[in-house]
Amino acid sequence: MRNFDIELDARGLNCPLPILRAKKSINDLTDGQIIKILATDPAAINDFTSFCKQTGNELLESQEQNGEFMFTIKKSARA
Amino acid sequence: MTKRLKPAERRASIIAVAKVLFADSGYHGVSVDEIAKRLGVSPAVLYQHFDSKEQLYIAVLDEIAGQRESYIEAALSGPDDFGSVLLRMAHVYSDSIERDPDYLKMEMHSVLEGAKSTQLLFESRWKSFSDYIEVSMVELASEGIVNQTNPYSASLMFQGLMRELLYAKCIYFSEKYKDIPLKTLVNQQVHLFLNAVEYKHPD
Repeated sequence: MRNFDIELDARGLNCPLPILRAKKSINDLTDGQIIKILATDPAAINDFTSFCKQTGNELLESQEQNGEFMFTIKKSARA
Repeated sequence: MTKRLKPAERRASIIAVAKVLFADSGYHGVSVDEIAKRLGVSPAVLYQHFDSKEQLYIAVLDEIAGQRESYIEAALSGPDDFGSVLLRMAHVYSDSIERDPDYLKMEMHSVLEGAKSTQLLFESRWKSFSDYIEVSMVELASEGIVNQTNPYSASLMFQGLMRELLYAKCIYFSEKYKDIPLKTLVNQQVHLFLNAVEYKHPD
């Protein structure tokens, strides 16, 4: 598990709330800082992969265990 | 002669045909023989893939539940205030129903028939709206951006506004609305909802 600067718990919520929450939290980070996100929405992997592609942030990790997802995302300078 | 399909292709074709028939007539209005006839195969072929009509019906509901709209674009493609995101989500959803209204028909039938998978449909297709509205209403009310309407009532109100519109426009093609584009009607419904919760748009 990587170190992270902030954690966002989006478990129990369907898209777009986890994405909007992540966007807001990442806005408060400085470049290079890392956010850890927990989610349970079955579409979360696709959603956060698309989110990173569109925003330019870097998806460092994506894990799934027992229906729960964990992502770590690094804020990128171009985001 | 019926074309020989691979098992996965045959299963998908059975689900596709069954979806259209179940959407039109409901679970009890369609027989296995009818589905088989429409596919041009014998009922035995259906039973190779599904143990019963009920199992096929559940497979159709699962298939529809799995086709959830993506709201990534709605979340990221413009201003991220509550009203703007909700409007874009409503357009994504209504466009999807306009393309494939069978989902809403199945939802209506499955509610009446009490199918166990009905919950799945609501969890997958409406939960994005209920989550977004219920959570946002609590936060926005504390900031004075919306009134103190119960979040669950607000969520139901929105779903009712959208569902009724989509029934009228995409299922029974009401004469009243036939000359008004769906997009315009969706804008009006969302506007009505935002007015009802006294949403203050950020300037």
